[in-house]
Amino acid sequence: MSSSTTAAAPRKSAGGRFLASELSVLFRRRRTWALLAALAAIPVLIAVAVRLSSGPSPGRGPAFLDQVSQNGLFVAVVATIVAIPLFLPLTVGVVAGDTVAGEASTGTLRYLLMSPVARGRLLAVKYVGAVVFCLAATFTVAIVGTLMGALLFPVGPVTLLSGTSIGVPEALLRIALVCLYVTLSLLGLCAVGLFMSTLTDVPVGAMAATVVASVVSQVVGQLPQLEWIHPWLLTQYWLGFADLLRDPIVWDSFAANALLQAGYVVVFGALAYGRFSTKDVLA
Amino acid sequence: MTRTGRKSWRQWTPAAVAAGAVGAAALVAPFSANAAVDLPDKTAAEVLALVQEKDVDAFSGTVEQSSNLGLPDLSALGAAGGGMSPGGGTTGTNNDDGGEPSPASAAMELITGSHSAQVFVNGPDQARLQVLDPLEERNVVRNGDDLWYYNSDENEAFHATLEDHEKPDGATSAPNDVAAHFLEKIDPSTEVTVGSDRMVAGRAVYDLVLTPRSTETLVGSVSIAVDGETGLPLGVTVAAAGSSDPAFNSTFTDISYEEPSADLFAFTPPEGATVTEVDPGEHKAEHQREHADKEAAAAEKPTVVGEGWDAVVIVPAGQQEIPPELMQLSTQVNGGQLLSTALVNVLITDDGRILAGSVTVERLQAVASGQ
Repeated sequence: MSSSTTAAAPRKSAGGRFLASELSVLFRRRRTWALLAALAAIPVLIAVAVRLSSGPSPGRGPAFLDQVSQNGLFVAVVATIVAIPLFLPLTVGVVAGDTVAGEASTGTLRYLLMSPVARGRLLAVKYVGAVVFCLAATFTVAIVGTLMGALLFPVGPVTLLSGTSIGVPEALLRIALVCLYVTLSLLGLCAVGLFMSTLTDVPVGAMAATVVASVVSQVVGQLPQLEWIHPWLLTQYWLGFADLLRDPIVWDSFAANALLQAGYVVVFGALAYGRFSTKDVLA
Repeated sequence: MTRTGRKSWRQWTPAAVAAGAVGAAALVAPFSANAAVDLPDKTAAEVLALVQEKDVDAFSGTVEQSSNLGLPDLSALGAAGGGMSPGGGTTGTNNDDGGEPSPASAAMELITGSHSAQVFVNGPDQARLQVLDPLEERNVVRNGDDLWYYNSDENEAFHATLEDHEKPDGATSAPNDVAAHFLEKIDPSTEVTVGSDRMVAGRAVYDLVLTPRSTETLVGSVSIAVDGETGLPLGVTVAAAGSSDPAFNSTFTDISYEEPSADLFAFTPPEGATVTEVDPGEHKAEHQREHADKEAAAAEKPTVVGEGWDAVVIVPAGQQEIPPELMQLSTQVNGGQLLSTALVNVLITDDGRILAGSVTVERLQAVASGQ
């Protein structure tokens, strides 16, 4: 620790460069693009399915689905709702679970640690890389959804949950807010994945454990008998983004979600740091 | 100490510290909000006067309502298909029976479920209630003589024009309206005391406690949080007799006395919504989808027997239907079917009358046979 603080100044730029190289490695991987393509397929499928069918009746299928045929912008919202419970955690679990374990399994972790970057900083860079992927993932779903919607359906003023109509520019802004909310919701899961990744040298194990964590959290969230634990669940506010589609916007769930996710990031970040800073890197 | 021992100690220290800090913050935060509150001492009568003389024209806030009436979760059966929990894996899939919920079960759901709502009030004739369901919203907007109800799930709107003499409906289930209902009941049969001062929605409040002296009522006590400055009731908690857990709670978590924006009350139904015009002269339910034979029965008005806490409402046979999903929960008792909750008992007699009240079964049976 003391050596890293005395030499912090030169290492700062090293950390920045390290982050840039981490991101370029992440986004040059075919796997990353495959994950994003899989996510992009969700809005495409929804839009095409609605276009080809006669249109669902209100109250069936995911929320807002019946509005898609009248307004293409809803493709983005429906796709986000569909992606949240499984597809987003799955892709984020793959990326976050791979952060450290992936390097360890290919034997590159040793070389990383030889570079003048402290282990804590390395971990932070890995985490930021996973968070950037979350951002890319949510915006992929929303942007592809918006484009598909605009392509196949009319686009016009959007009716909010409160019955108020807003223009297209504001609607796009709201969709961007939803993306930020969903990214925020995934920060805790990223930290869990990072911790899992420090525990093992087998990336698949860390990925699976991360995805299982999100699934278990959602299952527990469904059980009224465990209601006392619900406010502490990672996934508790995942669908709270609907509050951004009200008029006026209700910010309560945004704030509660931020606080909860921050708690997860602090606890699992510290766990990951504790584990990683003392880890014997053998390969 | 061995090297491995020191290592494992070092390894988990940051995590232990972080977990401890997060846990401590989570535990301390709710208590600090409840830190010492000291309002000038007032007698129960003075607090009541404060409520009656309240001079609040405009306010807005968030209301959390929860109830534990000993019934199964009716939101799963009922109205808006909003029984999904936020962490749900079955995203937004609504109950796909496609059937129209009856207005009665919708109302039941609103009273019995747990809800979060936004309330905006400006003067006596502008009000808006937004029930924030997961991925849905229900709105009641009153602007002058216009009354709107909008349901985002079905994308349908109902509009009614109120007559001049009609008073605001007030059935927003916001704490101040619920409190008004209980404050009306205050009579010699009620013991009124002032509990210790509390904080509600960031305001120092008096705790006005109403305890019925009657032994036949199901209500154990009603606690009303009265804003120490403005006199607006900010929370109502009802406990059933013989139980300390609240059976019903409706409390502002957030309140502002600033005038809400006028746009909030100017409701225009969105494009594509089904708009139904409701004539307030007729009964809304009748107007929509009920049978013609009701109109004959409507000549007979429901009557009230007893007063205060012991009051029992008697609805003559054939006037009101109990939703079938509720009837499934009823049990056979002497004289009819009983629907029992922590705070309200409903007796459907064998001859079709409905008796309801916050009273014991014995009293309902006595009233039923006494008629």
